[in-house]
Amino acid sequence: MKDYLISMFVDNELDLDEKIEFVEIIHKHKTFKDETVDLLEQEKLLQADMVTAMPEMSIPEPMPEHDQKSGWFRPWLPPLAGFATAIALVAGLFFLRPTPVPSQEELHRFVIYRPNADQAEIVGTFTDWSPVALEKIGTSGYWAITLKLPEGEHRYSYLVEDGRQIADPTVLTREQDDFGGENSIIRIAAL
Amino acid sequence: MKTFQKFYTENKERLFGYLLRKTGNYHLAADVMQESFTRYLERYTDREQSQSLLFTISRNLLYDHARKNRYDTPFEDEQHGTDGNQENLYQVREESRQVLAALQQLDEEEQDILALVVSSGLSYREIAEMTGNSEANIKVKVHRSRLKLKKILHRR
Repeated sequence: MKDYLISMFVDNELDLDEKIEFVEIIHKHKTFKDETVDLLEQEKLLQADMVTAMPEMSIPEPMPEHDQKSGWFRPWLPPLAGFATAIALVAGLFFLRPTPVPSQEELHRFVIYRPNADQAEIVGTFTDWSPVALEKIGTSGYWAITLKLPEGEHRYSYLVEDGRQIADPTVLTREQDDFGGENSIIRIAAL
Repeated sequence: MKTFQKFYTENKERLFGYLLRKTGNYHLAADVMQESFTRYLERYTDREQSQSLLFTISRNLLYDHARKNRYDTPFEDEQHGTDGNQENLYQVREESRQVLAALQQLDEEEQDILALVVSSGLSYREIAEMTGNSEANIKVKVHRSRLKLKKILHRR
């Protein structure tokens, strides 16, 4: 007996001839009918909506077009193919939300020690990958900036001497970007 | 642009459903879903929207994840133990936990094919192409997986 017809029936994969065959077997064989009913019951469990809440998603941030001009910045260009679509998606997500909840923002201080640098900048998802300058803290060798970040996960790195990109040495969670560099990953949670 | 939004809305729950059934782990499924859409958005938006491609990206990510875990963190399971499991399931409905646990006992291919059939909305033919099987093979394997799942569920 072609018992796989039961799964094809469950999955709406039977063509007309197979439907005829299926109905005839069902009529002749009680075990086949029982198996079909059992598997349909099991399918209800299997296909049930299993979670109480879908996970939250953050879609990659688009990058403003004017940044494309600066040549040294090229490694941080996002994949441009996705740029326009990302905007549409982010806008779409916004409109799809049934009740817009204002997202919490937290102040976060970024600090890096570059005693010999004459400038230091930060780029990240929260700056749309545009460089933002850090302030030199006296003669300490430290550079810092305090930024308001929305709740959630953020990726960033520092631009130091000669436009070199480095990950935050104080943050262990990192990921390779598509251009051979490394980004640090932090998670901001509202207090 | 609008089409991607539609594509995303249509596929987010399907993809998550597949990943959850495939991994039995809410957080891992969420991470892989995030990464899959990100990659899709970054690299393939100029192509025609393709559900198969999205699922293929996810399957590859899962494969990489499994391989990495095998070599890098052989003791991960022990570290996370049952507490980790509980945490991984806290968003999962009580009545679905048993089914998810049973799915994890199928062998990898059976589980993959069944999770695809149940969650993705893809046809046997599309799943056959994606997994490198013939359509006839998929028919048999899907059914075999269902029967095996039934046995596991009845053993409990």
